[in-house]
Amino acid sequence: MKRSSRLGITYAGPMGLWLTIFFLTPLFIIILYSVLKKGLYGGVEGTFSLAAYRQLVNPAFARVLFRTLIVAVTATVITMTLALPCGYAMARSRHQSFFLGLVIVPFWTNSLIRIYAWIAILSSKGFANELLKQLHIIDQSLPLIYNQGAVITVLVYMYIPFAILPLFTTIDSFDFQLLEAARDLGASRFTSITRVLLPNIRSGIITSGVFTFIPIFGAYTVPLLVGGKDSYMIGNIIVDQVTKTRNWPLASAISLIITLISTVGVMWMLMAGAQEKRERSESLRKAGTR
Amino acid sequence: MNHHRTLISYVLFTALFSFLLLFTTGCSKEKESGESSKADNTLYLFNWTYYTPESVIEAFEKEYGVKVVLDYFASNEDMFAKLKGGGSGYDVVFPSQDYAEIMIREKMAAPLDHEKLDNLRYISPLARQKATYDPDMVYAVPYYMGASGIAVMKNSVEDYPRDWSIFSDSRFRNRMSMLDDMREVMGAALAHLGYSVNSLDPDELEKATRLVNGQWKPNIVKFDAEGFAKAFSSGEFSVVHGYGEAVFEEIEEERWDDVDFFLPEEGGPMYLDSMMIPVTARHVELAHLFINFIHRPEMYAQFLDRFRFPSTVHTEAEQYRTTEPIYSSDALAAYELKMDLGENLPLYDNLWQTIRYDD
Amino acid sequence: MNSASSHTRTRHRATFSNTVLILVILFLFLPLFVIITYSFSASKSMEFTTFSLKWYHQLFFDSDELWRAFLNSAVIALSSAAVATVIASGAAIGIMWYRFLGRQYIQILSFLPMVLPEVIIGISMLIFFSAVRLSLGLVTIFIAHTTFNLPFVYLLVTARLDEFDFSTVEAARDLGATEAQSLVKVVIPSILPGMLSGFLMAVTMSLEDFVITFFVSGPGSATLPLYVYSMIRYGVSPVINALSFVLILSIMLIAFTLRRFLKTIAASS
Repeated sequence: MKRSSRLGITYAGPMGLWLTIFFLTPLFIIILYSVLKKGLYGGVEGTFSLAAYRQLVNPAFARVLFRTLIVAVTATVITMTLALPCGYAMARSRHQSFFLGLVIVPFWTNSLIRIYAWIAILSSKGFANELLKQLHIIDQSLPLIYNQGAVITVLVYMYIPFAILPLFTTIDSFDFQLLEAARDLGASRFTSITRVLLPNIRSGIITSGVFTFIPIFGAYTVPLLVGGKDSYMIGNIIVDQVTKTRNWPLASAISLIITLISTVGVMWMLMAGAQEKRERSESLRKAGTR
Repeated sequence: MNHHRTLISYVLFTALFSFLLLFTTGCSKEKESGESSKADNTLYLFNWTYYTPESVIEAFEKEYGVKVVLDYFASNEDMFAKLKGGGSGYDVVFPSQDYAEIMIREKMAAPLDHEKLDNLRYISPLARQKATYDPDMVYAVPYYMGASGIAVMKNSVEDYPRDWSIFSDSRFRNRMSMLDDMREVMGAALAHLGYSVNSLDPDELEKATRLVNGQWKPNIVKFDAEGFAKAFSSGEFSVVHGYGEAVFEEIEEERWDDVDFFLPEEGGPMYLDSMMIPVTARHVELAHLFINFIHRPEMYAQFLDRFRFPSTVHTEAEQYRTTEPIYSSDALAAYELKMDLGENLPLYDNLWQTIRYDD
Repeated sequence: MNSASSHTRTRHRATFSNTVLILVILFLFLPLFVIITYSFSASKSMEFTTFSLKWYHQLFFDSDELWRAFLNSAVIALSSAAVATVIASGAAIGIMWYRFLGRQYIQILSFLPMVLPEVIIGISMLIFFSAVRLSLGLVTIFIAHTTFNLPFVYLLVTARLDEFDFSTVEAARDLGATEAQSLVKVVIPSILPGMLSGFLMAVTMSLEDFVITFFVSGPGSATLPLYVYSMIRYGVSPVINALSFVLILSIMLIAFTLRRFLKTIAASS
C-alpha cells in the first residue's frame, strides 16, 4: 500500500489544490478575524485583540452549547438507529437504485416548505392531532410543535438520508456469505449481526455518525422555525453574532472552537477505525485465512 | 456492471453539460453586464421580498425600455452583512433607518442628484423630520414608514386590552407569540413603561427586561419573526406581535373581519425604509430614474394598495389608492424610530441574551 | 473476495429491516403528501379549503423568476456535484493507497468544510472573493458549493474503499494491466456505489443550501432556496408547493424512462 508517490499526488492533487485555494484562504480569514478587534458595524478593524476569545467564556453560551449537545446526540442516535436497518434492507434488495431514489428524491424539494409541512402536521389543528382525535386516542390537542421534541423530530427527518447513504454504501460491499456462514455455525441472528456485520461496516457507521451529528449540531433553521422559547442552538448564536450583534470576531472564535473540537473528534474516530482495521487484517493474516 | 457504466456516463454527460451551461451563462452574464453598464439598461435592486409591486416594476420596464433584476433579503442584518462583506452590483437597496444611518456613516452610500428626483417634493415633512440621520435626503429617500403591531383573532379571544399588556394576560397563555427581534420586543416593553425605545438608561432597560422575562415570556409560546403569520392564520396562536401586512397576506379575505390588528396607543418601535444607492452601483442614472418613478403618486399608490399601508411618507398618493389601510398614520403618532445603538449595542444585547438564550 | 460475489441478493426475509425501511420511507414522504395536498388548495395558508389549480396556473404562466432560480439551482447542483465527485473520489483513492508528501495535510483539509459553520464559510468566502476581485455570480456559487460538497463525497468513497480489497488491483497489475486500466476496470466499478452516493448527496446539499449561497451570490444569480427563503417573513407562496410536485413527478419520470432505456441497452449488449 505504500506505493509510488507520484501517482498519489496525481489522484489527490486536484482536491488538495482546490481546497487550498478556495477553502484554506477563507479559513485563514476566519482565524485572522477571530483575533482582530470588532468593527462597530460589523467587519473588523486592524487592531489585534483577544476580546472574542474572552467573550467565549459566557455561561449563557455554555447553556446553549449543552442544550445543543443533548439535542444533537439524541437526534443522531435516533437517526442512526433508524438508518442502519434501512441501509441493510436497501443493500440486500434487488431494487437498490429504486430505494436509493425514494430516499433521496424527497430531499430535492425545498427544505423550507418541508419544514412548513411539518409545522402543518404538528400544529394543534394539524394532521397529527386531528388523526389522533379521530381515532379517539386524545380529546385535546397535544403540544407537538414549538418545543424540543419537534426540533428533534424534524432534525431526524432532515438527516436520515445523510445517515442512510454511508451505511448503504458500506453494507453493499459487505460479503453476506459471512453472515450465512455464521448462522450455519450456530450463531443467533443477533450475534451474527453484532459480531460479524457491525465490525465490518465500522467505517460506514462512523461516516454515517459524522454526516449526521455534525450538520445537526450546527443546525439553525429547524430550531428557529419549529422550536419554542427554549430551543436556541449554537448555530443560531453564530448567525446572530454575524448579523444581529455584528460581532464577527466572536462568531469566528466560536466557529473555530467548534471546528477544532469536531476535527479532533472526527480524526480520532477515523484513526481508531483505521487502527482497528489494521489489527483485524493483522489477526486475519496470522490466522492464515488470507 | 455494464448498465452501471452507462449510468455513470449519463451522469457525467449531464454534469459536463451543466458545467458548460454554467460557464456560458456566467460568461454571457458578465458580458451582458459589461455591455449594459455602458448601455445602462438593466437595473439591479436589492429589496425585501414583494416590497416593490410587480405592476410598478413592469410599468418602469416598459416606460424606459429597461430590465429590472431583483435580489431579495429577509432582514436588514442579512443585507448589511452581505454588503459589508463585499457584495456589490446592486443599484438600489432598501435599508431600514438604523442601517441607512450606518451606511451613511460607513460611506457606503452615494449622494443623490436631486435634479433628477423632482418627485421628492411629495415626501412628507413628517418623514423627513423623523429621518434625523438624513432629513435633507442627501443619501436616502424615504420609502415607507410603519410599525409592527398586535393581531388578535377576535373570535377566540374575549375582552382583551388593546395594548402591550395583552402579553401579560395569563388567560391567553400559550396562544401568543412575539417577534424574534431584540429592538421590537425591548422597544415594546420600554414604550409600555413609558420610556424611549432608544433608551440607554441601564435602569430603564433593566425594568424592561424584567417585564419581558417575568410577565410576557411565560405567556408566549415562542419568539417568532418568520412563521407568526402562518401560525396565526392556522389558529395555533390567537394573539401575535407582528407585521400587519404579513398577517393579512396569509389570511383569506373572507376572514379579515375576524382579525383585529392594531398599534397600541402607548407607542412602540417604528421603522422607516429608504431607498439608497450604494457607492458600488453601476447604473446610477437608471437608479435615479427608478427612485423618482416610484414616487409618482399613481405608482406609489399601487405600493400602498398592495400592502394596504397608510400613506406615511407620501403626500399625494392617498388620492390614487383603491384600498383601505390596515392602520392609520395617526396610529404612529406615539411611535419612535429605532435608531442604531452603535457602541451601545452590547448593552441591549446582553439583556436580550437573558431573554432569548435562557429557558 | 470482491464485491461481485458478495451480492447474494436473494430475497432474504430480513423482515425487520424491510419493515423499518418501508416505515422510514413513509415518514420521509409524509411532508410531501402534505405539500402536494396543499398545492391543490385554493387558500394560501396550509389549510385545505377548496380544490383549485390556481397555483399550478401561476407556476406555469407567471413565475419567470422562480424558474430562473430553479434553473440556476439545477445547473449549479449538477455541475458542482459532478466536479466534487470526480476530484474527491480521486483524492480518496490517492490518500487510501499511496504515501506522498502532503497526504496528512489533504486528509485534514478534506473534512473541514463540513465542520465549519455555514454562515462563517459564507462570509469568509465572500470576503475572499471580494479580495481577489472575482465578481459574484453563478461561478462563485459553483465554487462554494463544490467546496462544501467535497468532504461528503470524499468520506463516502473512503468508507467504501475501506472495505475494498487491494489485492484485486495487485492481481490485475500482475496480469499486466496499466494503472489506467486497473483504475477503470477494477477500482471504479467497485467504488461506484460510493461515488454515486456521494454525487447524490452533493446534489442534495447543493439544492438545499441557503446561507452560503446568500453571501456568495451576485445580483441576479438567485437560486431556488434564496428565492424561497427570502419569502419567509412574508409568507411563502404555495406556488413552491406546486413546483415541488412537478419536480418530483419529473424526476420520477426521468428515472423511469432512464431505467427503461438502460434495460434495453443492457438487454441488447
